[in-house]
Amino acid sequence: MSAAPGRAPVLQVRDLQAHFRTRYFGVDREVRAVDGVGFDVRRNEIYGLAGESSSGKTTLVKTIAGLLKPPLEMVGGSARFSFLPEWDAVGRAPPEVVRRIRWRHLSYIMQGSMNVLNPLRRIRHSFRDFAWRHIGGGKREFDARAAAHLERVRLDPSVLSAYPHELSGGMRQRVTIALATICKPDFIIADEPTTALDVVVQKDVLGMIRSIQREMESSILFITHDMGVHAALTDRLGIMYAGRLVEDGETPEIFGRPLHPYTRHLIASLPRIGDVEQREGLEGTPPNLAMPPPGCRFHPRCPLAMPLCATTVPAMVETLPGHRVACHAVNPGAAA
Amino acid sequence: MSALLELDKVSKSFSRGGLFSSRRVDAVKEVSFTLDDGRPEIFTVIGESGSGKSTLARMILGINAASSGQVRLAGRDVASYERRAFMAQVQPIFQNPFEAFNPLKRLDRYLFMTAERFGGAADRAAAEELADGALRQVGLSLAEVSGRFPHELSGGQLQRVAVARALVARPRLIVADEPVSMVDASLRMSIVNLFGRLRDELGLSIIYITHDLATAYYISDRLIIMQKGMVVEAGPARAVLSAPSHPYSRQLRDAVLTPDSAGAFRARHPLKAAATPGATP
Ligand SMILES: Nc1ncnc2c1ncn2[C@@H]1O[C@H](COP(=O)(O)OP(=O)(O)O)[C@@H](O)[C@H]1O
Ligand SMILES: Nc1ncnc2c1ncn2[C@@H]1O[C@H](COP(=O)(O)OP(=O)(O)O)[C@@H](O)[C@H]1O
Ligand code: SF4
Ligand SMILES: [Mg+2]
Ligand SMILES: [Mg+2]
Repeated sequence: MSAAPGRAPVLQVRDLQAHFRTRYFGVDREVRAVDGVGFDVRRNEIYGLAGESSSGKTTLVKTIAGLLKPPLEMVGGSARFSFLPEWDAVGRAPPEVVRRIRWRHLSYIMQGSMNVLNPLRRIRHSFRDFAWRHIGGGKREFDARAAAHLERVRLDPSVLSAYPHELSGGMRQRVTIALATICKPDFIIADEPTTALDVVVQKDVLGMIRSIQREMESSILFITHDMGVHAALTDRLGIMYAGRLVEDGETPEIFGRPLHPYTRHLIASLPRIGDVEQREGLEGTPPNLAMPPPGCRFHPRCPLAMPLCATTVPAMVETLPGHRVACHAVNPGAAA
Repeated sequence: MSALLELDKVSKSFSRGGLFSSRRVDAVKEVSFTLDDGRPEIFTVIGESGSGKSTLARMILGINAASSGQVRLAGRDVASYERRAFMAQVQPIFQNPFEAFNPLKRLDRYLFMTAERFGGAADRAAAEELADGALRQVGLSLAEVSGRFPHELSGGQLQRVAVARALVARPRLIVADEPVSMVDASLRMSIVNLFGRLRDELGLSIIYITHDLATAYYISDRLIIMQKGMVVEAGPARAVLSAPSHPYSRQLRDAVLTPDSAGAFRARHPLKAAATPGATP
């Protein structure tokens, strides 16, 4: 994998595998939600992850963040952060180590904002609970800083006195983003952070995320299924399909020269204002990850599929400088 | 033509804050519109977060009472309906499918319960048939969902179950509060296309709350744009979105990001930090 000189990876993910192992009413099921994913996120960049619903994006970033709860298990591979060099995955480090890095080095904006905000505590207290000990200073000073930070996501300081349920979903999500950025961490994982926001606020919030990121030269792993957001925000982009990464590279390169058949479809199918006719959908549905198809997981839906695709997993190959693709049609002879 | 749904100067206010600093929030202010009975349509509500869309939806669904004004279904105040009779006609679909389903309850139970309570299914076999039919309309089947708990599905799959659950009741009106905001473009298209089919083939009317202007343009008949609880612009969807006249509507339209907005925040967007010398190579 090529990293530009001077831009060392902050996160190195290698052959990561994470499965859901469930047993309901005596039936064992294993959902292979993340299966052999590898990529780097460098310092001072926003790496985007795209892919349709159920492709494993959330599972991937939960595993990277070490938020593993049964039935989710990290089965193999590694996800190493440069600020935690002695552990090859956050999920393998002891809880006290994880507590030390959380919020200050690594923060996580989850899909669905209620998860982090305590419904019984005013927003002010959530800020104090998470960030005060990292930032320090007097109580008033800290509250003023929280209020100023909220203004950056266009929230009135009076929000500090509100309970989560008194805020609309969009307001809560902006509070969560403010919480995750106030300590200026090295690495932010953001899972669909603006998906619930309207376009105007989304644009503001994305601009804010970008400016905080630039200011801190921090790194962001940014997940959204919204290709418009990826185009506007991210520096590099990875495309997931059915638990695997199928393509990654510089964002303008992916949009300008998509190589994987799935990526080509993803970009061509985007609805735009002005559309009156239905855009071509893709035949079939994404596979059930409890029983993924063998070989290339995209083969049942792929217009270019050939016999090899049904039997052999295509390897992720650097087809063009900095542009990796996992496809037999693109890289003849590269099996995983 | 008689009216299916009428909103007559509907308002809702909440008080917020503590003992000493309580203040009033006017979440919805004097909103009026009518959906005709004989003309099924997709009626879209667009607006920024906090503009009152969900509050409006909850009043239409009879979950919250209006502070003033009236919501009428088939000429009758929604508050006067017996709950079950009302729910057989009006069904909700919510934004966050994970909050809509109880994590400890199997998904098929929801479908069967809705089929029996509101869909007129007399027995389990009829409920299963209704449930399977509804699931097939959203690209799933009872066999795939049977026995599964909400957390066994991802957000997108769960949202399809939520649409199916609403369909099981065979309602006349569906109130869908940001039903596609959590799902990807292809699934988003398949859900709005499904809405179109429900309108055209089943004669269902749908109130489609969204901030996705592309699908609103593509699928809806009429729309209203809300800001701070008020309707700032209303009319035929394509006409309004092609040539928005209110400043907020224009701002909304201009904020839409598409693949063509490449690099909006990498270069063009005037961010002070991005202009810092040395920040960009
Ligand atoms: N708690 C769970 N138990 C079993 N399977 C799960 C669970 N959560 C998610 N999955 C499955 O894992 C796959 C990936 O889901 P997810 O990571 O949420 O995808 P995405 O974020 O891309 O929509 C899906 O097939 C989903 O059904
Ligand atoms: N139960 C409630 N208590 C207090 N304020 C509320 C309540 N529900 C909504 N609000 C307020 O009403 C306004 C509109 O909220 P909402 O209808 O959720 O907007 P939208 O759905 O357009 O994002 C917001 O200012 C919100 O804080
Ligand atoms: S490996 Fe084969 S099936 Fe997979 S994307 Fe390439 S051509 Fe299509
Ligand atoms: Mg997800
Ligand atoms: Mg809402």
